[in-house]
Amino acid sequence: MAIVIDKSQRWRVVAAHVFLICLCALVIFPLLMVVSISLRPGNFASGSLIPTTISLEHWRFALGLPVTNADGRVILPDLPVLRWLWNSVKVATLSATTAVLLSTTAAYAFARMKFAGKKASLVGLMLMQMFPTILALIAIHSIFSRLGHTFPAFGIDSPWALVLAYSGGIALHIWTIKGFYETIPSEIEEAATVDGATPWQAFWRVLLPMALPIIMVIFLLAFIGAVNEYPVASILLRSQDQLTMAAGMKQFLYQQKYLWGDFAAAAILSGLPIAVVFILVQRWMISGLTAGANKG
Amino acid sequence: MADLQFKALRKSFGDIEILHGIDLGITDGEFVVFVGPSGCGKSTLLRCIAGLEEITSGELYIGGHQVNEVPPSKRGIAMVFQSYALYPHMTVAENMAFGLKLAGRPKQEITEAVQRAAQILQIEPLLDRRPKALSGGQRQRVAIGRAIVRKPGVFLFDEPLSNLDAGLRVQMRVELARLHKDLATTMVYVTHDQVEAMTLADRIVVINEGRIEQVGTPLELYRRPSNRFVAGFIGSPKMNFLPCTLVAATEALATVRLEDGTQVTAQVDARGQAEGAALTLAIRPERLLAETASGEGTARTSVIVSEHLGDTVFLYVHAPGGQGQLTVKALPETPLRTGDETHLRFPAKHCHLFGPDGRACTRLI
Repeated sequence: MAIVIDKSQRWRVVAAHVFLICLCALVIFPLLMVVSISLRPGNFASGSLIPTTISLEHWRFALGLPVTNADGRVILPDLPVLRWLWNSVKVATLSATTAVLLSTTAAYAFARMKFAGKKASLVGLMLMQMFPTILALIAIHSIFSRLGHTFPAFGIDSPWALVLAYSGGIALHIWTIKGFYETIPSEIEEAATVDGATPWQAFWRVLLPMALPIIMVIFLLAFIGAVNEYPVASILLRSQDQLTMAAGMKQFLYQQKYLWGDFAAAAILSGLPIAVVFILVQRWMISGLTAGANKG
Repeated sequence: MADLQFKALRKSFGDIEILHGIDLGITDGEFVVFVGPSGCGKSTLLRCIAGLEEITSGELYIGGHQVNEVPPSKRGIAMVFQSYALYPHMTVAENMAFGLKLAGRPKQEITEAVQRAAQILQIEPLLDRRPKALSGGQRQRVAIGRAIVRKPGVFLFDEPLSNLDAGLRVQMRVELARLHKDLATTMVYVTHDQVEAMTLADRIVVINEGRIEQVGTPLELYRRPSNRFVAGFIGSPKMNFLPCTLVAATEALATVRLEDGTQVTAQVDARGQAEGAALTLAIRPERLLAETASGEGTARTSVIVSEHLGDTVFLYVHAPGGQGQLTVKALPETPLRTGDETHLRFPAKHCHLFGPDGRACTRLI
């Protein structure tokens, strides 16, 4: 930065920094609070941010390890938290993969092909997705309950049902990817067509590699969405073993007892797969993949 | 190796017709340039040949086969796009090999073809690079290389040099001419730059508003433009046009009167025009003479601006007796400067005459 700066600028910089630091604190505080709660003995939501004594009982509980109670009794955790975590990862990976497969291909059709009713279907997709899922909960439940009669794999209490339900929510992804495709000059695919590529080859071998960053973004969004999703998971899954983390964690909180400590530990655990996926995909989220295709 | 035949080819986008019936034959090994102002349909015509646009009606033959319904990959063509359209995620070698790979050719053959093309275009040291790491001129070569490896019957170029700077454009122009000589393949080249058209083409096809205005060798078009559009389009700076009325027409000469009353003779056969008809006299800037003293058949006017370019001087002068201006390409020794009075001489053998419908009267030289 070699631009000459006015002296009054310094105060503005200081003010901006103060504001940004406050904002960061505001964002980080709840996370620190959750970490603190998970490390505190007992199940209390309030208390000081830095725990006076550190206890790993909630983490042992969340990880399925035996916990020694205050009165010396050893109890085994009654909730399969790790199992839920695995279910979440499984469902999220599968549904994110399906979402990417469906939305990249659908977006290709919308971005590049000519067909009747294109505009109407695009707007239709958008409109339908604007209604919250909760409105459709009853419908979703009865659809999958009926579906289960014919295809038990897709019935109530099956993770596949959840994957299928989540895969339907791709309207926004289609719009996003379509927008990205449209920034890629279609001449590159035309060149591939002249080179002898079928539409599928032009899509798969030329367009898709250039669209990698947006595909990764969509995968991540779909993954996070599936891990965090509660309403649909809570009505489609019933048995303890099939629950996802989001649906299962409700069981820490019941009328008589709020297990805040265990809840906090499990919440942090459920954030782990998202963090891992983010670290894995972020190296693909690079800009400039299309650089060099054109005159530049 | 392939020739091209267009028969009443039409192309519409929705209700708008872009090409209004193109009839044209291109012989095998010929370098044909489609030239015309932007939006005239020349690129659309090229895309129709490539198969990137469907033909609305009419017929297109490549190598004797009708290809209206044949997909691009099976037409035996290769295309170089204006924007190069390289595959950014592949190396130069992969870019050039892509077509052959899709065709399922053996690895050995692909490597050889890529090597040969790289040699022709002198891009061997770049084979492992990505397009991102290439300069504009190098990208252009890779795009041409990608076309060469497929050994097409017809090369299609869509304004391939328009993204290069002036110096590089001249260099690539020379290389394209050399390439055509070496490969002796049919080439169809689209440009709006008439210098490229003049220098590269065996034959030029001038297109305007979806119609062919004239087809001919560069010199034919330069010397005998068949209408006013072609006359104005070919040649730089643009040809001068002056309104005039026909005084007399004989077998060998036509005499016209300019707006200021000057009588000018032209070696054209204007007998088809009525006496007193409003015609257009045209003369190229390099043939129009600006003299300091008046003489027989000269028109008096004044210099608006003179531009000295070192080897030539462009004099912009008022059109005698009328609106507008004329351009004179003069020798550097001319004493005329901005604001000077001058007398224009119109040598008879360099004058063109165009009828009220824009059609040229036959020149007699």
